[in-house]
Parts: sequence; structure tokens; C-alpha cells
Amino acid sequence: MNGAKVNGSAVIDLKGVAIGYGAEAPPVLVDVDLSIERGSFVAIVGPSGVGKSTLLRVVAGLHTARAGAVTIHETKKPGHRPVSLVFQDARLLPWRRVAKNVRFGLEGLPISTTEREERVAAALRLVRLDDYGRRWPYELSGGQRQRVGIARALAVDPDILLMDEPFGALDAITRHGLQDELLRIHRETGKTVLFVTHDLEEAVHLADRIIVLGGSPARIVQDVRNDPGRESGGFREQVEQLRSGIADNYSI
Amino acid sequence: MRQPLKLHSSIALSALGVGAFLLAWEALARSGIVPAGLLPSPSAVPGAFLAEFRSGTWQAMVFASLSHYLSGLALGTVLGITFGTAAATWGVWDAFQAWVVRMLRPIPSIAWIPFAIIWFGVSKSAATFLIALTVFWINYYATYSAVRGVDKDLIELGHAFGQGGLIPRLFKIVLPGALPGILSGVRAGLGQGWMTVVAAELFGISGLGARMSDASGLLATHIVVLYMVTIAALYGVCDFLFMQVQQRVLAWQK
Repeated sequence: MNGAKVNGSAVIDLKGVAIGYGAEAPPVLVDVDLSIERGSFVAIVGPSGVGKSTLLRVVAGLHTARAGAVTIHETKKPGHRPVSLVFQDARLLPWRRVAKNVRFGLEGLPISTTEREERVAAALRLVRLDDYGRRWPYELSGGQRQRVGIARALAVDPDILLMDEPFGALDAITRHGLQDELLRIHRETGKTVLFVTHDLEEAVHLADRIIVLGGSPARIVQDVRNDPGRESGGFREQVEQLRSGIADNYSI
Repeated sequence: MRQPLKLHSSIALSALGVGAFLLAWEALARSGIVPAGLLPSPSAVPGAFLAEFRSGTWQAMVFASLSHYLSGLALGTVLGITFGTAAATWGVWDAFQAWVVRMLRPIPSIAWIPFAIIWFGVSKSAATFLIALTVFWINYYATYSAVRGVDKDLIELGHAFGQGGLIPRLFKIVLPGALPGILSGVRAGLGQGWMTVVAAELFGISGLGARMSDASGLLATHIVVLYMVTIAALYGVCDFLFMQVQQRVLAWQK
């Protein structure tokens, strides 16, 4: 189960990536060599402060790596964006109705108004919020807001969907519901998902590959293949194996 | 702890307060304690209004002042929001103009009256200039803090979704995000603008202030009060209309 293989259809390649905050401070994450296959669901787990979210921002182009190279093998389709992000706090624009929030990433892309509206409607359908387009963000529950965030990210038809602890702020019932929704969306769209979480059970439930970061400075300490969506069989063992792997490489 | 009042009780008490104030004023004016020329009774105001209205003076004065007010308000608001946004957005510009702002800001608008008259004469332009100056600073500071206060996470969102360039960032994130604060500044400018209208016109520029100045010179204090009430009513209407627009524009707030 350990030692994930990488086939030839990589969509992201990270080579020797190091991350730090500020020029003088020591790096928090080093030697990240990672190749992610197209269509895979990869979870990145690790304790707080190891640079999981920052690694995601490096892939999104929002943060510059201190060393190494990040390559996105985008499909160069017209009218799409190579990567899009789902944030922990949904991060909707409060002055835009739901449909206009979903439309946000499509603005400026070379597509017709008709196609834009169709893509907004399709994205809302995908997250089962077809009838919520005219609502204001404040009229939504936490789970619904997060669905809108996912719809916004999917509307731009990205090669890679980056998700930064998207369910971390939700209650357990909503979180489990959305995890299953995300598995369905992943099956239906075939998008590559890079999912940051500190919840090992969530990672084992969702991802077909789990990257564990640990140590100081942090580096990849485990790279595990996983069979997602199961709650019986080896689920517990998988979670415990990851937990012990993190504990071995984590000192307070 | 203070108990909150019900709405109808609050309205009834407010009306009672106004009624008591007018009655006390009327009683004082009629008592003869204060000479009639120094304190007109409120009951004299409707008569003064009818006389001024029939002669067309009231309409002419209101039109002149509104014209000064609206042009000064528009100019000061647009420039205040523009310069406030620029200073809050570009650090180089902010640093460049910071000390100019510090030097000019404490000078009250009425201190510019001599220059306004030298530059523009006793004219509508002089009044517009003074009102615009007052309104400018209010909007400048309100916009500056509102733009600086826009959630940085939303700026990051813009970058993540291809809206990080200057124009989309400004018009899709910064200005909509700052709008509640900007509109508070515009509303404050509405009130301060009226104060400057009167101050500017007291120096002879035709309008409500000039009419008040003329009337006070003749001890026609009931006419002075009439125009004071007129200014209050005009401000009330402006503020009410602005509130309606503000509520619609900010319907997205809870």
C-alpha cells in the first residue's frame, strides 16, 4: 500500500520545492518531490504549521516557493483556468448573489455570455443548489456556502481543484454529508483534487493517495495509496498507520 | 439597565418632545421676557413662509442653495472617493501626499472664503468650491479607511480566480467591499455640506444663507427662523432619500 507509483499522465510536478515565510526565517517545508496523476484525489495531511496550506498556495501561484520548481501540465482548453481553489471559510463575496459568486472566476475568460450562464447553472446543479442562484450569501447555511465555493471552483473547469481544509469549520453531520458529495462530484467530473486536511479519517475516507508531511523542517514522510469511500475493512488500520507515521516524525 | 422602548411609544414620545419644545418657545416669545425682535414665536413662521412663497423668494433661494449644494456635493464626493481610494491603494502615492494632507486637512473650509472670493468672485463657483472642499475631506478619510479595511482574504480570492489585476481587483473586490464605509462618508458629507452652504452664502452668495443674513440685518427674525427650518427640512429630505438608496445598494448586508 505504501510507496505510491506515478504514471506518465502527471498534472502537477513539484521538484525540490522548499517553503518558508520571510527571507531570513528557516524553511518550514523542504525537499518536496511530488508528481500527481491526472484525475487522482490526493490528500495532504500533517500537523499544524508544516506548510500544508502554503504548499497548496504555491501550486495555485499565490505564494512563491523558496526553492524548487512547480509545473502544471494544463490542457490549454480555451475558457478555463488551470487551477482553482476552495477555501476553508468558503470566502464568498457578500455583495454578490450566489450565481454571481459562482460566475466570479469565469469573468474575463474568452467565453460567450450564454456559455458563462450555462456553466454557472451546471456548477450549481452539480452541488445541488440549482434553486439558490438568487440568494445572498448571508441567507445560506455553512454547508451551503461551502457548496457555492465548490461550484465556483468547478465552474472554471480547472485541471486541478485545490481544497484547503474545506470542511474544517463545519459541524460533523454537514461535514460527512459534504465529504460524500465531494466523492460523487469527483467521480462525475474526473477532476484532479489536491485536498489539504489535518483530519486523517477524512483523508482516508476521500483520497486515493495520501501524502503525509512531518518533521522539522517538514518533508514528505509517507506517500500512501488508499481505497477511498469505505468505512469498514482496513479503514481503521489505515488511519492508525497514518497516525503512527505522523507521530514518528513529529516532535513538540 | 435601560429598557428598550416599543416603536410606537418612541414615536409618540418624540412627537411629545417636539410639541413641548414648540410650546415652551411660543410661551417664552409671548411672555414678553425676551423682546419680539430677538426671539420670534414659532407661530410667526407659517405666515413668513406664505409671504416668502407668494413673492417667489423662497423658491429662488431654495433653488440657488440646492444648486450650490448639489454641485459642491457631487464634486467633493467624487474627488474625495477617488483620492481616498488612490491613497489607500498605492503606497507610493500615499507616502507622496501624506504630509500635504496633514497640512491642508486642519484648515476649515470657511477659512478658504477669502480665497474663494478672490478666485471666483461672489459667485456660485465660490460656493461650490467651499462645499466641495468640506465634502472632499469627509469622503477622502471615509474612503481611505474603508478601502484599507477590505478583507485581505478577498483580495487573495481575486488572485486565485484571475481577478487580481488592478482594474478587476478595484472594481470587483476593493470598491464593493469598501462600499458600506464609503457610503457612510457620503452620508456624513450630506450634512456637513449644508453647513457650508449657509456659511458660504452668509458672505453674500445668493441663497438661503444670504437671505438669512439680509433678514437678520432688518431684525426680521421670523424670516431667519423660516430659513433655518427650511435648511433642516432640506437636509432631512436629502438624508431620508439617501438612506433609501443606501438600503437598496447594501441589501446584501444582513
